[in-house]
Amino acid sequence: MSAPRKRPYGAILALPLALYLAIFLVVPFINIIVLSFYTYSPTRIWVAEPTSANYLALVDGTFLTVLLRTLRLGLFCTVICALLGYPLAYFLARAERRIATIGLFLLVTPLMVSAVIRTFGWLVILGRRGLINAALAAMGLDRLPLLYNETAVVIGLVNVFLPFMVLPLMASIERIDPALEEAARNLGASFLGMFRRVILPLSRPGLISGCLLVTSAAISAFVIPVLMGGARVRVVGRLIYDQLLISYQWPSASAIATLLVIATTSLSFMALAITRRASRQEQGI
Amino acid sequence: MSRRLPVPLTAFVGLIYLLLLAPLAIVIAVSFGASATFDFPPTELTLKWYRAFFANGEFVSAFFKVSLVLGVAAAVTACALGIIAAIALVRFRFNGREALEAFFLAPLFIPEILFGAALYLIYARLGIKPSMTSLLLAHVVICVPFVIRNVMAGLIGLDPRLEEAAMSLGASRVQAFVKVALPLIRSSVLSGFIFAFIISFSDINLALFIAGPNSTTLPVFIFNLLLFEGDPSVAAASTLQIAIVGLLIFLVQRLFRPRTLV
Repeated sequence: MSAPRKRPYGAILALPLALYLAIFLVVPFINIIVLSFYTYSPTRIWVAEPTSANYLALVDGTFLTVLLRTLRLGLFCTVICALLGYPLAYFLARAERRIATIGLFLLVTPLMVSAVIRTFGWLVILGRRGLINAALAAMGLDRLPLLYNETAVVIGLVNVFLPFMVLPLMASIERIDPALEEAARNLGASFLGMFRRVILPLSRPGLISGCLLVTSAAISAFVIPVLMGGARVRVVGRLIYDQLLISYQWPSASAIATLLVIATTSLSFMALAITRRASRQEQGI
Repeated sequence: MSRRLPVPLTAFVGLIYLLLLAPLAIVIAVSFGASATFDFPPTELTLKWYRAFFANGEFVSAFFKVSLVLGVAAAVTACALGIIAAIALVRFRFNGREALEAFFLAPLFIPEILFGAALYLIYARLGIKPSMTSLLLAHVVICVPFVIRNVMAGLIGLDPRLEEAAMSLGASRVQAFVKVALPLIRSSVLSGFIFAFIISFSDINLALFIAGPNSTTLPVFIFNLLLFEGDPSVAAASTLQIAIVGLLIFLVQRLFRPRTLV
């Protein structure tokens, strides 16, 4: 008599949490979807008359510019994370245990410190009176406008979301038998050749799920674009915030939020499905 | 033959770490510097920004009366809900179990900024005023997945026959869990608790939308100061936050493998 036993009444234990999430997670999102179909009213914020105007208005508004910018930033961030993440993930997967543990600690701790604080560090480095500009001034050169442009935002995003790429990649690379690498090397492949022919193809599930996670996080970022991009680099997250708290266009903000939540959750669940499938194939199920 | 990693790879990895950690290192360095203009490297060391931080009542209250309290309360609530849900998922088989697990982990995959917006709207619609409680209720949602993941991993690694043995010796199901299973998975529970605390403690996206004047958390306070160029007492408060989070992660790593994070 060992697990798993079929005992449906055990589901009762999951009930409190299921109810809690239904109230505090599902209901707010249903409310957003409902609001997104309500009619905007300048005096009462919204009236409960169904309309699709909030979605149709997005097509020819400033929204498209903002959306394209957000996607562009997300794409740059993802590509750079992949380029930097591969060497890092390989290193952590193959380094000695002690070193890997320290490396993981140094990777995870910044992830857990509030995004505000990491962004603050970049403000000190890149600001007008910041570290780099002070060095330039000391050498008699002109100060550069390093902040409040898209490059600054990409730097900030990569810095914060790199672990989202490295962790799934590392898990994927760890599953590759080191004997395959040695075989490739013994047959005359250079390190880079081996990396391209062995590691790259076999770690593809990790790469895909890392890319999806980073993209999803980057296109819904808020703090970094606001603090490092300023008013010029408006992204979708900022647009939602401004419409909600500043101009009170709640139906329109709800429509944008609905679209973004569909986009990001489908990206994340795809990432999850890919990881699951990879580990199932691994176990031969 | 020992496998050695190529030197250029190691050097490149070192460079990435330098960039990754630079912002945090700078914040820490600035907090000890004497000049008010974020000079780096600091010309002389001082603790005056820490004194300035502790002298600022609003700042101290955001740190100790709001963020710390909220973090502990959210972690306790998330553990209470999460542990029994994890038992259901691991120890029982029922229809829709996998879907339920995905549902419990869903908050991980929903961007916090959108969840914050959704909460702002529902609270506004229902006329719920922003308070510590309304923020706490929201934080529990984003903390719960970390408890579920850690506790599930602990329970999966625990032989259910241990509990069965206790029950055959006369313990009730609840006694068997509390006296046998719980002590054995305490490190998983503790790391779930710690991660839950950190998630609440570091959260900015929810708090930006639904924190009120009496529930301004430390990250929101810092965010507002940064929008209007604060002084290095921001760095002092940030350094304290980094120290707390770093210490907790160090503790978790002793207990548990942090790679289950993503």
